[in-house]
Amino acid sequence: MKRSAFFGHEPAASVRRAAFTGGLRAVAPALFATGTWGLVTGVAMIKVGLSTAEALGMTLLVFAGSAQLAALPLIAAGVPLWVVWLAATVVNLRFVIFSAGLAPFFQRLPLAKRLALGYVTSDIGFALFLSRFAGTPPEERGSTHQVWFFLGMAAGNWLAWQAMSILGIFLGHAVPGEWGLDYAAILALIALTVPMINSRPSLAGALTAAAVAVLGAGLPLRLGLVAAVVAGIAVAMGTELALERFHRGAR
Amino acid sequence: MSHALYAWLAILGLTAVTVITRSAFLVLGDRFPLPERVQHALRYAPACALSALIAPEVMTAGGALVLDPASPKLAAGLVAMTVMALSRSMIVTMAVGMGIFTVLRLL
Repeated sequence: MKRSAFFGHEPAASVRRAAFTGGLRAVAPALFATGTWGLVTGVAMIKVGLSTAEALGMTLLVFAGSAQLAALPLIAAGVPLWVVWLAATVVNLRFVIFSAGLAPFFQRLPLAKRLALGYVTSDIGFALFLSRFAGTPPEERGSTHQVWFFLGMAAGNWLAWQAMSILGIFLGHAVPGEWGLDYAAILALIALTVPMINSRPSLAGALTAAAVAVLGAGLPLRLGLVAAVVAGIAVAMGTELALERFHRGAR
Repeated sequence: MSHALYAWLAILGLTAVTVITRSAFLVLGDRFPLPERVQHALRYAPACALSALIAPEVMTAGGALVLDPASPKLAAGLVAMTVMALSRSMIVTMAVGMGIFTVLRLL
């Protein structure tokens, strides 16, 4: 194994433990946001009329905040099941994009592990993983270190999400709407997003995505969200190409 | 269909949606490898997706555009972005943002 040569004689278990801890540490600053979202989602599940058992089942099985929040009003309205599932799929389309980003790292693992790593992928986990390992040469992708780093982030994220979501389910009847807790979740999202906008292409992309999302807010099934992501990525890439060409011309 | 059965079928279907969307290319990746250019473009996806989630929350109300700078959600959101950009502290950002949101709402 190339890997053992890379890690010397260090036992595999300590490599895994160090990587897992590293992942936990990397995701820790984001857990406040994750927990806030979880709390809000937990409260929301109760507010639309799910039973405590259904809400617990939903958070433990579905484990997808934005898809859950998108599905809840549809479930409350009793629309056909396929509409609920389709809406959640569209909201979750970004994860299809994320899975493509993770594929070069994890695609040589066994199918069960790929499904498991996919299931625990979060927005923040994906962003942190890619910003850290995007420059890894192809032959080092999918190393034990990377897999366990990813699992460490996923474990922290899962615990924060589930603990706060379950707390939200039990607080659901007690928290008054006037607290504006739903807005705290938006502020948490803002705090997560700002540091990711660290270049002119990412700023152009984010502004475009925001504008398209606002203009498309009335579209059914949150299609405006998908259009916004596609437009944002396109503009970011266009800006990057234009800047490259400009700098080449200036030289 | 009883409400409980409907809710549980919805939940089980949503679980399948989570698994399928999140592992899509992890399962299909070796059959449909993604070009390097596309992978590069995907680095911009997280910031774009999060911006697209935030903007309608602070700039629309009931489907209508809200551009009034005194609107509590918009004003607090803009201040929060500035505070986060300068301080890089999530706690400070949340505290200032919630403070302005609450004050403007109660005025």
